[in-house]
Amino acid sequence: MKKFLKQFLVFIFYATAVYLVLLVIWGEFMPNMYKKNLNYSPGSYGHMYSRIREAEKVTNMDIVFIGSSHAYRGFDTRIAEEYGFKSFNLGSSAQTPVQTKLLLEEYLDKLKPKMIVYEVYPYTLMNDGVESSLDIIANGNINHEVLNMAFSLNNIKTYNSLLYGYYRVLFNRNKDFEENTVIGNDTYIPGGFVEKKMAYNQTPSGTEVKETEWIPIHYQVAALDKIIGLAKEKGIKLVLVQSPVTKAEFKKYINNDAIDSFYSAKAVYYNFNQSLALSDSTDFYNSDHLNQNGVRIFNNAFFHIIKK
Amino acid sequence: MFFNSIDFAIFLPIVFLLYWFVAKKSLRLQNILLLIASYFFYACWDYRFLFLLIFSTLLDYSTGIKMGEATNPGKKKFWFWLSVIVNLGFLGVFKYFDFFAASFADGLSLLGIKTNFWLLNIILPVGISFYTFHGLSYVIDIYQNRIRPEKNFVDYSVFVSFFPLLVAGPIERATHLLPQIKKQRSFDYTHAADGLRQILWGLFKKIVIADNCAEYANAIFNNSEVFSGSTLVLGALFFAFQIYCDFSGYSDIALGTARLFGIDLLRNFAFPYFSRDIAEFWRRWHISLSSWFRDYVYIPLGGSKGGTWMKVRNTFIIFLLSGFWHGANWTFIIWGALNALYFLPSLLLNKNRNNLDTVAVGRLLPSIKDLLNITITFGLTLFAWIFFRAENVHHAVQYISEIFSGSLFNLPEKEAFAESENNFFIILLLLVLFITIEWIGRAQEYAIAHIGLKWPRMLRWGFYSIIVFLMAMYMSTSGSAFIYFQF
Repeated sequence: MKKFLKQFLVFIFYATAVYLVLLVIWGEFMPNMYKKNLNYSPGSYGHMYSRIREAEKVTNMDIVFIGSSHAYRGFDTRIAEEYGFKSFNLGSSAQTPVQTKLLLEEYLDKLKPKMIVYEVYPYTLMNDGVESSLDIIANGNINHEVLNMAFSLNNIKTYNSLLYGYYRVLFNRNKDFEENTVIGNDTYIPGGFVEKKMAYNQTPSGTEVKETEWIPIHYQVAALDKIIGLAKEKGIKLVLVQSPVTKAEFKKYINNDAIDSFYSAKAVYYNFNQSLALSDSTDFYNSDHLNQNGVRIFNNAFFHIIKK
Repeated sequence: MFFNSIDFAIFLPIVFLLYWFVAKKSLRLQNILLLIASYFFYACWDYRFLFLLIFSTLLDYSTGIKMGEATNPGKKKFWFWLSVIVNLGFLGVFKYFDFFAASFADGLSLLGIKTNFWLLNIILPVGISFYTFHGLSYVIDIYQNRIRPEKNFVDYSVFVSFFPLLVAGPIERATHLLPQIKKQRSFDYTHAADGLRQILWGLFKKIVIADNCAEYANAIFNNSEVFSGSTLVLGALFFAFQIYCDFSGYSDIALGTARLFGIDLLRNFAFPYFSRDIAEFWRRWHISLSSWFRDYVYIPLGGSKGGTWMKVRNTFIIFLLSGFWHGANWTFIIWGALNALYFLPSLLLNKNRNNLDTVAVGRLLPSIKDLLNITITFGLTLFAWIFFRAENVHHAVQYISEIFSGSLFNLPEKEAFAESENNFFIILLLLVLFITIEWIGRAQEYAIAHIGLKWPRMLRWGFYSIIVFLMAMYMSTSGSAFIYFQF
C-alpha cells in the first residue's frame, strides 16, 4: 500500500512535468485549431493589451468606466473630457463581474478615480466568464488575483492558458509584441475607448430574437456584491449603467423589470434603454453595440446627468 | 456527484485512504465504511430518494430471509412475489406511470374518447432501474435455491449500494459480488494500479470522445429538420460514439474504482463496435443487462429449447423488455424490436454463436470479410441508435426519411458544426486515435490494459501522461451527465 501511494505521487510529479512540457510545445508550435483548450493570444480583440499598458501610467481620474465591450465601445473618454471629466476606460471583451472585480482590485489604487461607472449588460451575469478570463490572462498581468480568478472559474481553458501565460512571462516571450492602434475597423483611443469605423446595423428590423429569461449565475452575483463592497470601502461613488442596445435585443429578456429591480437594489442605477431616441439602424453597428452616432447621443445624455 | 467531477476526485481518495488505513484490519469496518460512503455518494444526487434505496434494500433483505425460513413452498412463493411486485411497483410508479397514462389517453383519443389523465410528473430517482434489478436478481436466486439468504444487513446493503455501481451499473449478481464483500480483502498493488489505468481510460472516453461527440450529435438531432441526409448520418455516427464512450467510459471508471477497493465487478463492454454480427454485438454491449435478461427472463421462458415460434417469441420478449428498461418511450421499444429483428435470422439459422472469439486474433488488420461484417453490423446498430436518440417516433421517422432522400448525397452543412467548427477535424482525429487504440487492445479487458506493460516505466508513464494531457487539451468544457444516469 505504501509503495502504491509512493509510486502514485511520483507519477503525479512525472505527469505534471510531461503535461507542462507538452503544453508549451502545443502553445508554441501547434496551429490554433489544434489548441482547443488553450487560448493565449495577446492583442487578439478589443485592444486590452494597449489598455492595460496605459492603465499602468495614468492616475487621478474623475471616472473609471468598466464592464464588457459595451463599456469600452460605449463610453468615449474624449466626450467625457468635453464635459470636464478626466476618465479612463477599463472595459474588456465579455467582461463579467469576476473580471471586473479583479481589474478594480488591481487598478483602483493606481487610477484613484472619484467615480466608477460600471456598465452592467445583463448577459454578463449569465456568462461563465471564461472568455474574458483568457483575454485578461493574455493581455494583463499574471499575478495572485489572476490565479484566484482561475480557481473561481475552475475551467480547464483558463488553467491551461494561465500556465502557458506563466511560461511566456517567465521566459519573456512577449517582449517583442506590440499592438497596433488600428486593428481592422477598430481604433484605440488613448484613455481606453475603442472607436469603430462608422458602420450601420445591417440586421433587418423585425428580426426575431429568441426570448430568454435572465437568470444570473450565483458566483457572478457574489462578485458584483464584492465590487460594490470594494467601492464602498474605498469611498468611491459607484454608478451602474445599462447602455442602450437595439429594441429587439433589449426585449429578448422576458424579465427586464426584474433586472432593473435587481440593479436598483444594489447601487445608483441608470438604464438607458428606451429612454433615448435612438434608431436601431443608424445609431448601432450591430444588435447590441452603438456606432459613433449612438455613442455621441448616449454619452451626451449620460454626462449631462453626471454633471448635474 | 459525477465520476468526472472535482467532488469525486476528492471523495474517492478520502474513502480509499480510510478504507486501507483506518478500516484495514476489520472486514466489518471496511463494509460499514463502504456503505456510509455509498449512501453519501447517493445522497449527493438527491438525498430525498435515499429512503427509496434503503426501503428497497430492506425489502429484499427481509423477503430473502423470510424465503430462507419458509417451511413450505407456498410461503416462499408469497415472499418472493411480494418482493417482485413491490420492486416492480416502485419502478412502475416512478419510471412508467406517466408513460402508461399518456399512452392510454392517446389510445382512447384515437377512438374519439377524450380523457384527462392525471400525470405524476415526478423526477426519476437516479439508479432505480439498476438497484431494482440488483435486488430482483438476489430474490430470484434465493427462490431458485441458487444462493442462501444473506443474514448480514450491512453486507447485503453494500451489495445493493456499492457506490461505483450504484447509479449506472454494471448490474451485479449476488453470486458474483456478495462472496467478494464477505471475504477479507487485502491490498494488491497490481490490482489497484490496473484500476487506476482503467479509470484513466474511462475518463478519456467520457470527457474527450463522448462529450465532444455529444456537442455535434445534439446540434444535429435537435435541428434535424434543417439538415441534409449526409449531415444526419454524421449526427447518428457522432451519437453512436457518444453513447458507447459515455456508457463504457462510465463502466470503466466503475470497474476501476471497485478494483481500488479490492472488488471485481462484472465486465459490461467488450469492444462491441468490432462485432461481426448482431449476436456478437449483444454479447459485447451492456453485458450485465443482456445476461440479466438472458438468465432471469429468456431461459425461464424456455430459451431456445422450444420450437421456432418459442425462439421468436422469447427473443422479442427480451429485446422489447430491454428497450423498455431504458425508458418510458416508444422509441426505446422500437429500438428493442429492431434489434430483435436483426438478431432473429442468426438465431433461426443457428448462426448466433458463430463469432465467439476476438476478431482478427493475432493479426494487425481484419480480413476483408471481417471488415465487411463489422461495417454491416455497425451500420445496423447505427440505424437503431436513431430511434434511441430521437425525441419521439415521429422525429425518428422524419430523421430516417431525410437520410434516405436525395440529400444524402449533398455535402454536410457547415451550420451543423458552426458552434465549434474548428474542433470538427480535431474530433475526427481523436476518434481515429481512439478507434486505433481500441483495436490494438481489443483482446484485453479494456483497451489500454496491456499497452506498455512491458515498456520501461518512464515510457509507460509517459504514455499515460499523454492521455492525461490529451484529456485536458481536448475535453469538452460544456460537459454533460452520463447518459445512463437517466435510466
